[in-house]
Amino acid sequence: MRFWGLRVGMLIALLLAVSMFTFGAMNLLGDPLFNILGPIAGDTENPENLAKIQAAEEQYYLDRPLPERYVRWLGDFVTGDFGVRFSASGQPPVSEVIKERLPRTLALSGMAMTFTLAIGIPWGVWSGSRSESARDRLSTGVAFFLVSIPNFALGVVLLYAVGFRLGWMPVRFDAGDPFWQRMHQLVLPALTLALGGAAVYQRLLRTDMITTLQEDFILMARAKGLSRRHILFRHALRPSLFSVVTLFGINAGGIFGGALIVELIFGIPGIGSLFVESIFREDFPVVLALVMILTAAFVVMNFVVDILYSIIDPRVRQ
Amino acid sequence: MDESSGAVKARRLGPGFWLPMGWIIVIVGVALLAPVLPLKDPTDYFIRPGERPPYPPSADHWFGTDQDARDMFSRIVSGARVSLAVGFMTVAMSFIVGGTLGMVAGLVRGWFDRLVSFLFLVLLSFPGLVFTILIIALIDRSVLTISVALAIGGIAPVGRLARAATLSFAEREFVIAARTLGARNSRILFRELLPNVVIPMGALVLLGVATAILAEGGLAFLGLSIEKGETWGKLIRNGSGSRVLRDSPWVAFGPITVMFLTLASINYIGDYLRGFFNVRETGLGQ
Amino acid sequence: MTGRQAPLLSVRDLKVVFPTPIGMVHAVDGVSFDLEAGQSMGIVGESGSGKTVTAKTLMNLLPSYALVDGSVNFDGRDLRALAAERKTEKHLWGVEISMVFQDPMTSLNPVKKVGEQIAESVRYHLGQTRTAARRQAGDLLEQVGIPEPGRRLDEYPHQLSGGLRQRVVIAAALACEPRLLIADEPTTSLDVTVQKHILDLLDDLRAVRGMAMILVTHDLGVVKGRTDEVMVMYAGRTMEEAPTEAVFSQQGHPYTEALIETIPKINSASHTRLVPIPGQPPVTTSPPTGCPFADRCRYATDLCVAQGPPLTALGNGHHVACHMPVGTPAAETALVANAARGHTATGLEIHQSGVPIGAVTDGLGEQS
Repeated sequence: MRFWGLRVGMLIALLLAVSMFTFGAMNLLGDPLFNILGPIAGDTENPENLAKIQAAEEQYYLDRPLPERYVRWLGDFVTGDFGVRFSASGQPPVSEVIKERLPRTLALSGMAMTFTLAIGIPWGVWSGSRSESARDRLSTGVAFFLVSIPNFALGVVLLYAVGFRLGWMPVRFDAGDPFWQRMHQLVLPALTLALGGAAVYQRLLRTDMITTLQEDFILMARAKGLSRRHILFRHALRPSLFSVVTLFGINAGGIFGGALIVELIFGIPGIGSLFVESIFREDFPVVLALVMILTAAFVVMNFVVDILYSIIDPRVRQ
Repeated sequence: MDESSGAVKARRLGPGFWLPMGWIIVIVGVALLAPVLPLKDPTDYFIRPGERPPYPPSADHWFGTDQDARDMFSRIVSGARVSLAVGFMTVAMSFIVGGTLGMVAGLVRGWFDRLVSFLFLVLLSFPGLVFTILIIALIDRSVLTISVALAIGGIAPVGRLARAATLSFAEREFVIAARTLGARNSRILFRELLPNVVIPMGALVLLGVATAILAEGGLAFLGLSIEKGETWGKLIRNGSGSRVLRDSPWVAFGPITVMFLTLASINYIGDYLRGFFNVRETGLGQ
Repeated sequence: MTGRQAPLLSVRDLKVVFPTPIGMVHAVDGVSFDLEAGQSMGIVGESGSGKTVTAKTLMNLLPSYALVDGSVNFDGRDLRALAAERKTEKHLWGVEISMVFQDPMTSLNPVKKVGEQIAESVRYHLGQTRTAARRQAGDLLEQVGIPEPGRRLDEYPHQLSGGLRQRVVIAAALACEPRLLIADEPTTSLDVTVQKHILDLLDDLRAVRGMAMILVTHDLGVVKGRTDEVMVMYAGRTMEEAPTEAVFSQQGHPYTEALIETIPKINSASHTRLVPIPGQPPVTTSPPTGCPFADRCRYATDLCVAQGPPLTALGNGHHVACHMPVGTPAAETALVANAARGHTATGLEIHQSGVPIGAVTDGLGEQS
């Protein structure tokens, strides 16, 4: 029980620290008022702008000292009030926009993670058991290629080859299309995100499997007359899974980051593209909210990875 | 059952090393010497009357031209300068800062170590390029800012490794001996630990450069890299619009190929060297 | 050997060769023996003698690049042919022939519960349900002398001591009631006090189940009083094969004689020097034409160098691969001649008393 208490405490501490970093960056690097209102921030002559300035100051507690601003912001944030967007025409609350776009990114990320695991793990297990064969050399080459190519480049290549040349997959995401068609449209972007990760899994798992397969308990399993497949998946895989689980955590972060790029290439209106658009539009309440959300999600995911660790390896529990 | 070791032949660096190394030398060389090489001006427009750009690769333009009839070859070279420069600067900064923090933390322990470790943990909690993008967005988009922002992302992994290496070496006798002889911490740091910690960190340098180039490429592709001038990511972005990509793929594929070859070479050299220094005995049977 | 029924296990002229960067290593170079049902045999030899490779061949555990020749028959079935076919006879190894390994720390899967590892065989081979298999695993734990078997089933290997772990390994090996159990150095990794218990356990289990057993070891002391027969291997070949008492009371082969001499005896005078065998076992990339032990043998003559001695019967089931077995007049003559010359036909230096020089001057020190 102590074990968990410590872990949860660390989780909360991390989340707080992350929020402090982000909030600090936002407010200390540059003028917050400018960040929120843009060029009109300095224009106190124009009564219309002045009103806006005063409203913003009130809304964002800008006349208060920094620590107090932080606490107030944090309070708002945690209760779901992410503030309003800065935009010329109307000001839909940030939470609305996020709610609208989040499902698409979640679908994309979920699909990508599934593909990564579904491709990477069997591939790794298979090549770990057949190392040094010609087929293994080929697959190692493919894996190396996938690992070295940047994900945006891979996306462009896939878009061209599979989308344009071969015409197998749709190339545009259309929010108006029915659900299954939209899922279909997400396959190519999800693959782009997934292939690089799958190759990393494959390389790692292959090495681990080769090492594990040389252990004595594998010899004993063979002596028991168990089939090759049984030994591979029931004996060899589990100890090799540690690195996979660690990788899962790191990979998840990569998928979040990669989603930004992939959404741009394939024109998917999700959180990633929202983030980039908001950066360009200098719409900082959105940026702040998104950074927090993305980071918090990542921290929680790592926490889950920790839990998985202790389930897989009973030795860790002690 | 005897385990005979395979004969350890004198290991020499084979073609597996020199081929990718050759590419690296070429690309770095060309990038450095670009101003004095007889290349076309990357910002010049080479419009042919009657034909609409982009023009496919030809004897005149080895990599073709882009939509504005600018020569792709020279643009890729010019992009190499920035991409590689950012890569190296980022790595240098993150290694110096991260390495120092990690080593001092590992040596001094106590509250400083706890603080630094927590700092690393926080930095590692930001997914992908999120924090980096934030900083760039808040400050500006100069080569320096971008390098620093990317370097911040690299501090934690490097620092952790430096700390771990320091911890494992600090327990060893020769450090304890130095301490007993009255050496001050800074002296221990430099004379005893640094040479030993540098070796595992060295392995990370190659990976770091590749990662930095990759990251800058990602930023550029998002449109968040330097405003003036070219980088590989920017060039790829330029060639990735639907129509351009479909009808004139070379605009994107030229920089993609060069970038891929560079990253692949770095990765391959890294793999190769790791295998090279890891001579294992061949056992008989199991 | 002259059994009315065919022996359970029959090995004829087994050869195993491994291609390696330094050449073809002849790990096993023509080994033959029989084992009756319910009988136990010890295979004794130094490391490199080929004893473990022989055991692994019987268990179909050789790597795929190993080259095997000769015949191995178990209960009338050709094991080599069965090993080559992947699909049929899935239920021979692990069921009828089972193996116990040297180091229980590494033979057990660290992340699987102990009970699961025992139950695995019965579920896989005999198709038993989880609960039935678990019950059987508990019974087995009890049979191998583990206290509180019910609790142990759910523990992990690292929670048990070395001796208990080896008992678990034995339990797992016995799960499907094998007719032959091969134990490869089962006690070498254990504390001395535990060794005896494990060996006693194996003896008891054997008696109760009527199981045949092959005990592979480098330590002659392990087989004394426990096995029915002993086969002494050297450089991949059989040097001597005899009922156990004969091996200890009346060695036929000079190698066996030298091995016996290396065992410190409790009733020797204090400060008696230990007598090691000088030299090293050969690296078998090029099997010698003569006797492989000639380099280290005090009786070696030119005949020994020129011609490899065949395995000849001395009567009473005692076989020796030597031109002049210990105790024969030919051996005495050779030894006296060698001692007089000061060296053997292979250049091994001999003290006047007949003891090889390398054996005395190693300075292995006092027996305290």
